[in-house]
Amino acid sequence: MAKRVRSEAGYARKAKEAVHLLFFQHHRLPGVRGWELRQELGPDWLSVLEVLDKQLQPLDLQVTRVLDDPNIVEPDQAQLADARFYVTMRGGIDQRSAKIIGWRVDDIAGLAVAIAFIISKQGKTPRVNVEKMLQEKLPGWRVKMSVDRYIQQGYLGEDDKGVLYLDWRSRAEVDQKQLIDLIVAFGKKPTESGPVVAPGEKEDD
Amino acid sequence: MSTRRRDELDGVINLCRAVQAGSVEPFAVDIDYMLQVIRRYYPETTSLRDFCTDAKAISGLSTVLGRQNEWIQHQSTTLYKDPFLLNQQLMRMEVGAIADVFLRSWHPLLQMEQLSAATLAGSLAYWTDLIPLAERWREEELQLVDAGTATVEEARALGYIPEEGFAQLMEGFWRELEARTGSGGRIAYWDWIGADTYEETVRRSYLTVFLVSYGYAGIEADRLGETVTIVHNPVPRFDNGQARISVPTLVDYEEWRQWRRE
Repeated sequence: MAKRVRSEAGYARKAKEAVHLLFFQHHRLPGVRGWELRQELGPDWLSVLEVLDKQLQPLDLQVTRVLDDPNIVEPDQAQLADARFYVTMRGGIDQRSAKIIGWRVDDIAGLAVAIAFIISKQGKTPRVNVEKMLQEKLPGWRVKMSVDRYIQQGYLGEDDKGVLYLDWRSRAEVDQKQLIDLIVAFGKKPTESGPVVAPGEKEDD
Repeated sequence: MSTRRRDELDGVINLCRAVQAGSVEPFAVDIDYMLQVIRRYYPETTSLRDFCTDAKAISGLSTVLGRQNEWIQHQSTTLYKDPFLLNQQLMRMEVGAIADVFLRSWHPLLQMEQLSAATLAGSLAYWTDLIPLAERWREEELQLVDAGTATVEEARALGYIPEEGFAQLMEGFWRELEARTGSGGRIAYWDWIGADTYEETVRRSYLTVFLVSYGYAGIEADRLGETVTIVHNPVPRFDNGQARISVPTLVDYEEWRQWRRE
């Protein structure tokens, strides 16, 4: 059977539908499952998302995909159907913008340390260890409150044994590899392989 | 088994739990030593309690091995950096620098909790169809009426008794399926249940549930439930020995309208 090719106008219409699905929250948690997108957008839903991603590029936005199993590199159709799709910012943001959206520098740094620490512990570690690590740089009374906030916002999860792990939001929003690479490279001299961050210096500057 | 020995096994179990919780590194555990402990006390295991302690220790040990395997896999990924080095770096960095580094790898999510025109229209339709609370919660008003009698024909005419017995209804429905698909044939679900009116479509869908449950027909659905097919069974299989599963199918009004248009 010949494959149906969607016209440009057809793609534009479907991209609009995809915007409605991805921008408005439909469930308790943000994001839309692949199978929901396929149901609404048709069999070429992945092409529609590709078109939308290109359209969002000038606005510094992107369509992000988060698989249930983060170790999968090349997902098959069934895994894509189970994946969750979001719209996120394409580039990073600066501290001023972060403040505007309600984040203190302390909170951001605390979240960074918690995520990096959990990654270094294979994705889970007791809460007391994370709190101990955070207490090195943040006042004790803030630490517990911050960890509770990260859990409430979906960045960290805590099981009934008090073990912390990275929750859906960290997987959707944080480029974990980039974060770890930047931390490890911090303060090192630039090499031929590329620039590294120096203390107090920002790449965008 | 003596108390001292049981304590030693409990120590093994607790150590395994600590590894599982992430408070002890998986490779900090001496597997050979732990195996020796379990092996040493195994011949003395006599009571049920001892067997349970033994099983817990072995299960804990297998968890440690699992964590060791995960650790090796984690080390082989691009995410792996020496935890000690990573912690030292985090200690060395100022709070502002950590925040800067994080902001460069952070891509905040955008999503609005807001009504769209479509949800607003849907909600308005729901509101219009919603029966007022006064009606929904109205207490039943009982009326005293004189008891009377009715014939079977009258009860049938009022719809209290089906026109024919359920078994006959199933048989008739099964024969209709055979007529449309041929013996052992198959038909798309919507082509089978679809009728001129929505009410009749729902009725056919309802009867199809029994047709399948009683073994007159089979149902096949792909993993994502996109295509559902009804298969005629030439001989009813009242119990084919297979595990029973549920295949939820939505008989939506909009879907029925779309089917009618096609």
